[in-house]
Amino acid sequence: MPQKRKDLGVDVVLITGGGRGIGRHLAKEFAKQGAKKIILWGRTEKCLRETCEEISMTGTECHYFVCDVGNREEVYEQAKVVREKVGDVTILVNNAAVVHGKSLMNSDDDALLKTQHINTLGQFWTTKAFLPRMLELRHGHVVCINSILSLSSIPGAIDYCTSKASAYAFMESLTLGLLDCPGVDCTTILPFHTDTEMFQGMRVRFPQLFPPLNPEMVAHRTVDAVRTNTAFVVLPWTMHVLVILKSLLPQGALEEIHKFAGSYTCMNTFKGRT
Amino acid sequence: MHIAAEFCVVCVKVLWSFAAAAARWLVKPREKRVQGRVCVITGAGSGLGRLFALHFARRGATLALWDINRTANEETAELVREIYRQNTTDTSSTCAGSEDSGEKSAVFQPRVYTYVCDVSQRESVYATAQQVRREVGDVTFLVNNAGVVSGRHLLECPDELIERTMMVNCHAHFWTTKAFLPKMLELNEGHIVTVASSLGLFTTAGVEDYCASKFGAIGFHESLSHELKAADKDGIKMTLVCPFLVDTGMFKGCQIRKEMAPFFPPLNPEHCVEKAMRAILTDQPMVCTPRAMYAVSFMKTILPFDAIVCMYRFLGADKCMFSFLAHRKESTNNNESKISM
Ligand SMILES: NC(=O)c1ccc[n+]([C@@H]2O[C@H](COP(=O)([O-])OP(=O)(O)OC[C@H]3O[C@@H](n4cnc5c(N)ncnc54)[C@H](OP(=O)(O)O)[C@@H]3O)[C@@H](O)[C@H]2O)c1
Repeated sequence: MPQKRKDLGVDVVLITGGGRGIGRHLAKEFAKQGAKKIILWGRTEKCLRETCEEISMTGTECHYFVCDVGNREEVYEQAKVVREKVGDVTILVNNAAVVHGKSLMNSDDDALLKTQHINTLGQFWTTKAFLPRMLELRHGHVVCINSILSLSSIPGAIDYCTSKASAYAFMESLTLGLLDCPGVDCTTILPFHTDTEMFQGMRVRFPQLFPPLNPEMVAHRTVDAVRTNTAFVVLPWTMHVLVILKSLLPQGALEEIHKFAGSYTCMNTFKGRT
Repeated sequence: MHIAAEFCVVCVKVLWSFAAAAARWLVKPREKRVQGRVCVITGAGSGLGRLFALHFARRGATLALWDINRTANEETAELVREIYRQNTTDTSSTCAGSEDSGEKSAVFQPRVYTYVCDVSQRESVYATAQQVRREVGDVTFLVNNAGVVSGRHLLECPDELIERTMMVNCHAHFWTTKAFLPKMLELNEGHIVTVASSLGLFTTAGVEDYCASKFGAIGFHESLSHELKAADKDGIKMTLVCPFLVDTGMFKGCQIRKEMAPFFPPLNPEHCVEKAMRAILTDQPMVCTPRAMYAVSFMKTILPFDAIVCMYRFLGADKCMFSFLAHRKESTNNNESKISM
């Protein structure tokens, strides 16, 4: 049955971490599907500028601002700048994230904290900055690009698993809280390993069975989920099985399956963004 | 070929762990001994932390109690000493006949140590941990229990309170674990307990920060337990404790639908800790109280979100915290709960 899709014609979309990776594809996809304006946030100006130019060329208005979402003051400051220069944000996409990719004892304390600040607390600040206006307008959407690791953790990325689990709870609680607010909705995307620089070097044991996702596909599915008002999307859907198994199996069995599937060793070759 | 063989082995192991789980269920495993072991409990000044301390004390463990509140912590210590005294009189009277065991208990005398520590402060945790190692010895049990709740709606909550909730309920686990894990790894012995909440398995509206911190603590716990497994450190056990609303006053005012309330009464803290102790001492990886929570969290994984929303609405669970938030607001206005934050 074809679902009704929201028109994005009046929407101003802000994407954190929009300069590269999935964020960049999200920006292009939102533009392609008719969003009115796109705003990009990120720390590296060069990527932001390039993406911004690329989108402007296609005829969609695009702006970028340098903003580190892990820094609360900066978020509020830049949010003000956005409101003044561009207007009210109606779709907020929390996509910025980092991964340190070490085991607990090998992790640096500051790095552990930084991941929490960017991946979890950053979403609190951006949401606090833009949600009130969405509620006033009775029109808005909060989107979060999370990860399947939020529901099923692996060793060797303890900073990331912790932060993503937190971010998941934040979105779930927010989604429940906004049920009675007409016009304001939430979408959370939980993708499996995606082919960007983020998890570079990570090696899954059965790449034929679990190939890395294509970031364009993730972006496409995200925008579609926003337009159809879908609250949670697991990509690929087969990952549901993992989540169900996790709540069914005794711990020992789960560990054996993880071991066999290679999730205990996949992070050994992890390089990440260099 | 080789993969197929490995797959078969995995299948057998999976079946085996089912059998083992069933066996555990039928024949209750024996509790491990904690006598003389050092146990660190954070947030020991009140609620569940205090009860954990008393239970460990009854079994003769040496306790290092951490809390930010000195007086409350001392009160717990006093209760623990009382239990130690009872223990010695009990054992000396029962063991009067048998020589050797009487001797043992005479040699060993557990003690309780108290430390004032704000677990959200990394330096404070590391310094206190250093002190514990020096004064008490190697830690076998680490119970990460300290927790706070801001009790405000997201948009009304001061940012500092959000940060504080995350720091105490989640980030603190990094620091305490990092402080004590190296020695446990060296000895391949130890036990890390995470006291989360059923709000670490499913969420409800209005308490985004609390849910985020508890989910985070569970994500941390799971990732760490896989890490230990991957490193073959099977001597270090981990137990995740997920109690439903416990009647400790933390969520005073919280209410689900009236008709449903009798089916989900707030837990008696004593009962909850008893169950948790039993799980810890038998190396059970996870314990939810009441058992219905297993069912709820399983339902959550199989049902689509819309169905979950229907279920929540039916139970009145989606907005159950709103009455708590209102209550909290009222009492803050009356300057009542300032201290508890
Ligand atoms: N790649 C995967 O396998 C995978 C799987 C599941 C989920 N995800 C999720 O998908 C999202 C995007 O990942 P990706 O693969 O596109 O990663 P990526 O290529 O590393 O992109 C991350 C983006 O976030 C930005 N960013 C990082 N820290 C920031 C900060 N403090 N403030 C503002 N922007 C910041 C980065 O830009 P700057 O560095 O210029 O700031 C970059 O644009 C993340 O939330 C990730 O968790 C990825």
